[in-house]
Amino acid sequence: MTTQTHNSLQLAIDAFTPPSAEPAWLSELRQDAADSFTALDVPTIRHEDWRYTNLKPLLALKLAAAARAPITLDDLKPWLIDGADDIRLVFVNGFFDGTLSRIPALPEGVLIAPLSQLFGGDEGLPGKLARFADHHAQPFTALNTALFTDGAYIRAGRDAVLDAPVHVLYVSTGGQINAPRTLLLAGENAGIALVESFVGLAGESRFVNAVSEVMLASGANVRHAKLLRDPAASHIGWNEVRQDRDSAYTHHSISLDAQLARHNVNVMLAGEGAACTLNGLVLGNDTQHIDNHLVVDHMRPRCTSNQLYRSVVDGKSRSVFSGKVIVRPGAAGTDARQQNNNLLLSDDARAETRPQLEIYCDEVKCAHGATSGQLDPDAVFFLRSRGLDTRQARNLLTYAFANDVVEHIKMDAVRQHLEEVMHERFHGLLGE
Amino acid sequence: MTKPLLEIRDLHVAIDGTEILHGIDLSINAGEVHAIMGTNGSGKSTLTKAIAGHPDYTVTSGDIIYKGKSIVAAEPEDRARAGIFLAFQYPVEIPGVSNMYFLRAALNAQRKARGEAEASGADFLALIKEKAKLMDIDAGLLNRSVNEGFSGGEKKRNEILQLAVLEPTMAVLDETDSGLDIDALKTVATGVNSLRSPGRSFLLVTHYQRLLNHIQPDFVHVLLDGRIAKSGGKELALELEEKGYAWLEQAV
Repeated sequence: MTTQTHNSLQLAIDAFTPPSAEPAWLSELRQDAADSFTALDVPTIRHEDWRYTNLKPLLALKLAAAARAPITLDDLKPWLIDGADDIRLVFVNGFFDGTLSRIPALPEGVLIAPLSQLFGGDEGLPGKLARFADHHAQPFTALNTALFTDGAYIRAGRDAVLDAPVHVLYVSTGGQINAPRTLLLAGENAGIALVESFVGLAGESRFVNAVSEVMLASGANVRHAKLLRDPAASHIGWNEVRQDRDSAYTHHSISLDAQLARHNVNVMLAGEGAACTLNGLVLGNDTQHIDNHLVVDHMRPRCTSNQLYRSVVDGKSRSVFSGKVIVRPGAAGTDARQQNNNLLLSDDARAETRPQLEIYCDEVKCAHGATSGQLDPDAVFFLRSRGLDTRQARNLLTYAFANDVVEHIKMDAVRQHLEEVMHERFHGLLGE
Repeated sequence: MTKPLLEIRDLHVAIDGTEILHGIDLSINAGEVHAIMGTNGSGKSTLTKAIAGHPDYTVTSGDIIYKGKSIVAAEPEDRARAGIFLAFQYPVEIPGVSNMYFLRAALNAQRKARGEAEASGADFLALIKEKAKLMDIDAGLLNRSVNEGFSGGEKKRNEILQLAVLEPTMAVLDETDSGLDIDALKTVATGVNSLRSPGRSFLLVTHYQRLLNHIQPDFVHVLLDGRIAKSGGKELALELEEKGYAWLEQAV
């Protein structure tokens, strides 16, 4: 049933025409997703999973259809990551930009390409795309599937290892609705690192509705960072991960800028001994609203999951953390940890935290903890007694709090880049 | 006669409306080492916090004159930049900030405020290496987060390292000896002694006489119930060690 509230999004679906002719499987997938969207209700704060995040302002936006826009390398500079840009895919409003992208010679078994170049090929996309991002259950996944024009395809076949990170930049301009889409497939014992940057400049409010699917075969190792730096964006992201036996997945979600963001990370630990680490950082100010919503499903024995999310909220900003761990019957030997720490820098900032455990099995180790508070006055005084002024002391302590998440990033270039970004954000103390 | 470096006049200090210090008078000349001894709860730490300018400690009357000017209204950072240093009894842990980064930030904040050139990376590295060697602090400790996971002795040595790097004029050490084994105590004392100079004064707050075996004070003051009960030379410390504090309580 189409409700009053999702009219603006429904209009986007109704107005959509693919940029070029598409194979039948894709047209059918789109139609199925469009039908699902029409049938599903956009969630309101009456839905348990959305009680802290009100989408009304997003639904009230007047959004233009995604369209190509000219972007230069200079425009991209603030978002490039020195040392992590040798392999780069750039999409502007969902359209691949070949001149800004770089795909060097890759090891045997590795394929990195825009999805659009593979729609009709023999890569087997019909059986792989939209396999785990369920557009029958989630309206925003349905919306993305109906509207995406292109996206990043990253495949590391069996035993293929690529150490250099793949940087995918999804650039948004103007007041558009964009649907970035990523598909990452890591074969048996493959190793690969992906950085997704969702970027844009201040300007007209836009809606970026992203879906990423990540599949890890047994023994695969995937490191994945998601950087959100688009001050004009309402961003909804679905990150769907499925892990097979003994695979290892690490996710770092870093929200540096957005008007509104909702990051959904769903991990299925579907093979024995799989391990995932989900870390996140929120830097909120003004009236920003950043919601991290995680579900880790321990389906098989002896899997481990580790969540560390931190938020720093200033001004009237608000952060939300919901982390759910499900331990299925038979998932003995599960080791699940959740930690959420929130730093409130102003009286009007708020942080909601909801760690949740659903355990249907004995012999499991689950721990969760949450803290919310202000800067430690003793630490502020300590730093002032060493000559830092109040602002410098607070900035240094805030940096330290936030950096605890960043320093876990094993991709050196990404970590160093973020440290620099945070130095700048917190008025670099060293002056050079 | 030269003016004292630090002069405390009839100082009354309160926390949360409760007066802890009831009129302290103390005068420290350049280059002198003074020790303040006293039992727990006598107000020793309160005095050090008041000198450093902790916002929770309110000077209700009296004055603190440093280099000829009242500092009771000055911010803690302004006192630090003017050369006052407090070594904390309980050093604060700061996860996520490396010791090295912190020290350089502090040094440069002070230099900048004084209109001096900031230390470059290379200059700072040379400086810190020299000072760390003095305090027997290995490079690993410099790269770790400030005081995080440090042993009690490492924390105290780290305080003296900060003292050595920041080179204050008036150093106040709040129970730097507490919780130290004899080797750590000797290291700390050696560090402090090497920093003694005609232009630098020390105020050592301690519960026990043993620190004063290693750092010879010029003057010893005994604090009791927020007042100085007795002042004397270094022999007063030995007398306290022998007799305890009870005889002074009776005298007051």
